[in-house]
Amino acid sequence: MSLLVLDTLTKSFGGLSAVDDLSLAVRAGEIFALIGPNGAGKSTTFNLISGLLAPDRGRIFFDGADITRTPPHSRAHLGVGRTFQLMQPFHDMTVRENVMVGELFGHTVPKSLPAARRDAEEICELVGLGHLLDRGVTALGLADLKRLEIARALATHPRLLLLDEVMAGLTPTEARQAVASIQGIRARGVTILLIDHVMSSIRDLAERVAVLNFGRKIAEGTFETVAHDPAVIEAYLGQDEADGSR
Amino acid sequence: MTGRALVRGGLLLAVLAAVVVLPLWVNRTQPYYLQLSINVLIFATLALSWDILARTGQLSLAHAAFYGLGAYTSVLLTTRAGLPIVAGMAAGAVVAVVAAVLLGVLTLRLRGIYFAIATLAFSETLRVITNQVRFTGAATGLVAPPLLGGHRPSQYLVILTILLALTLVSWWVNRSRWHFAFTAIRTNEEVAAVMGVDVVRFKVLAFAISALFAGITGAFYAHVFLFISPLEAYSLAVSVGALVAPIFGGLYTTAGPLVGAVVLRAGEEVLRSTVQRGYPIIYGFLLAAVILYMPGGLAGVWASLLARIPRPARRGARGEPAGS
Amino acid sequence: MLIFGVLRSGLYSLTSVGLALSVGVIGIVNFAHGEFLMLGAFLGYWLFVSYGVDPLAAIPIGAAAIFLLGGAVYRLSIRRVLRAPELNQMLLTFGLSIFLQNLAIILWTGDPRVATVSYKAEALAVGPFTMGVPQLVVFGLAMALTIGLYAVLGGTRVGKAMRAVAQNRLGASLLGIDVDRIYLLAFGLSTALAGIAGMMITLQLSVSPFIGLLYTLKAFAIMVIAGLGNINGVIYASLVLGLSEAFVEFYVPQGGGWAEGVFFFLILVVLLVRPRGLFR
Repeated sequence: MSLLVLDTLTKSFGGLSAVDDLSLAVRAGEIFALIGPNGAGKSTTFNLISGLLAPDRGRIFFDGADITRTPPHSRAHLGVGRTFQLMQPFHDMTVRENVMVGELFGHTVPKSLPAARRDAEEICELVGLGHLLDRGVTALGLADLKRLEIARALATHPRLLLLDEVMAGLTPTEARQAVASIQGIRARGVTILLIDHVMSSIRDLAERVAVLNFGRKIAEGTFETVAHDPAVIEAYLGQDEADGSR
Repeated sequence: MTGRALVRGGLLLAVLAAVVVLPLWVNRTQPYYLQLSINVLIFATLALSWDILARTGQLSLAHAAFYGLGAYTSVLLTTRAGLPIVAGMAAGAVVAVVAAVLLGVLTLRLRGIYFAIATLAFSETLRVITNQVRFTGAATGLVAPPLLGGHRPSQYLVILTILLALTLVSWWVNRSRWHFAFTAIRTNEEVAAVMGVDVVRFKVLAFAISALFAGITGAFYAHVFLFISPLEAYSLAVSVGALVAPIFGGLYTTAGPLVGAVVLRAGEEVLRSTVQRGYPIIYGFLLAAVILYMPGGLAGVWASLLARIPRPARRGARGEPAGS
Repeated sequence: MLIFGVLRSGLYSLTSVGLALSVGVIGIVNFAHGEFLMLGAFLGYWLFVSYGVDPLAAIPIGAAAIFLLGGAVYRLSIRRVLRAPELNQMLLTFGLSIFLQNLAIILWTGDPRVATVSYKAEALAVGPFTMGVPQLVVFGLAMALTIGLYAVLGGTRVGKAMRAVAQNRLGASLLGIDVDRIYLLAFGLSTALAGIAGMMITLQLSVSPFIGLLYTLKAFAIMVIAGLGNINGVIYASLVLGLSEAFVEFYVPQGGGWAEGVFFFLILVVLLVRPRGLFR
């Protein structure tokens, strides 16, 4: 059962094709990875799915419903959540308050303030931020900021979670923790679509992988299949393959 | 109730009592102070209503537009259509809200300086049109019927009521889920949207509330000072004052704009007696000084003073303004 | 009418190109830009009234003076907010403009002053058109300066450094360019250009502390039409504004008053329809 279907999605910016005729389907409950060299159109795809950009052509289906014209906040209500690569916490608020925004507004039925506060604290505990609830976000380190990103996205109780380069900049230990967390999230019934460059983590996590280059999908399949695809290898030629061991 | 809360509550009550009683009492011997108080309250209402819009990150230079629209609508309806002043003021508020919703929707995609310039253009366009068109009295202006027969003490109570209502709205907004929505939108609209915040709705709502109070205050102003013209009603000085006070006093709070307004307006009175013209120079100076040296405004200074007093850790500091 | 509009656009170009320079190179929208113009105008006026110096001849003095003033303002205030949110920068220059305008009111009162130069009313007839001599001279000079600025930006080392900084601040500093000094020069230059424009205004129109804001807003309109930071498009955008105003003045009844609002209208329209500007 496909939770997310992208149908011939196209988006260009002033003549440059960022996403070109992209079609793919993500099955409910799986972990799907989107990889490709820099500038391949991965972030644009995320922006299209979450509703921050409108496609020039093509459609997006979520759980069978056409959400191509749905505004971003409604998509959040339907169950599409995402993190951002350039972490952008709400810097005027504490950690708890950041997560509360998601709890308060991420559902079709509005939650009360006390309930939102409780649930936000629960999620923070879950991702390991329980001891930082009252801290201002400007004091957080990289790994904690990433946890906050995930916590915020989880606060909207998504059915599909878009993870945007969560592995970047993490030490190997932190990366392993992150992989475990993500698997834990999936175990709770959340479908995951992730973008990343850290190949070792992708190999551990993803059941299926799609490769983008210049906005087009050039390969799709298991990690092993894709890793040996000549077109993929060629696309990455000249790319520093040490990306995987950053 | 904790000791601190009691002290706070008591202080608030004392201030309220003073604000209500003092000017009226002094009026018996020195009517000047009642007049000044009315001016201060008008200014405070403009400042606080501007701040509400600012909480969504929309720093508008169009506040005078809503003020002027409220004034002109009310005067036109009461003089040309014979409506009672109450109806005129209500209509003024409605027209201001409609204009605000329009402007809000039109400027949804504009950010920062673009937004500011567009709102300024909106306000100034209104001024030019009003200045040219005979129906609105052109440059000569319009004469307005007096509110409550010109009885200053009663007028004072009216503006006080308006300000109190606005204060309650502002206070409620800051304690409710709206605070989260506004702050999220102000910090990062896209992230807020993706987390389920209906950005359009909240931005336009903020515009509407802000304009409602600006409009009704404009109408009040018209019926108290009995004369309006495009130069004053749509004056850039109104918009400037409305933004300097919150910045000076502390953005995104309820007390900040109010304290800022009172201090600034009182200071202006002092200056006006010494420097005849060009006293707004102090606004320019203060604005620059605050941005350069005191980004939190008075509220920021107050907060940093409080922070030096050791006390048990509570919720993190809220409402850091533009300088952080 | 056409001539009128074109001649006027010369002055507008000069006024706006300075602002565009400041926006493009430094990245700051200087709300106080018009106040430097106003100060230049007053300088021109006082030099004329006290020493009999023709404002045009006094331009080098005025330019130098305003350049120094601009540099001082940059050092004292602008520099501090370059890393701050854009809103702070906007508010700072806004406060600065209010400060300068009211300073002028306090020093020189709000009354408009007029400098009557000997050739003020002279006109030149070219074919079927008559043009005022001052307007013509101002136009010529303004255009020359504007084009001169383009030449400086394109040809000289400093100019190229400015363009480098405009495009990529970090990259430019890595190349060894002293970015802070470039900012200082650019800001000083932008205010000096405004000051020169002000002195030209002394020649034709009345001088008062209130003209600053008006020209700041018109410069904004032109920048918005050209696209913020687009220095090259300023000439065309100035033509758009100049001609639109002339059109309204001549063909709309009571056009004089309405023409004042033309640029606001243009701002609104452009921002709502094509926020990136018409001439990108």
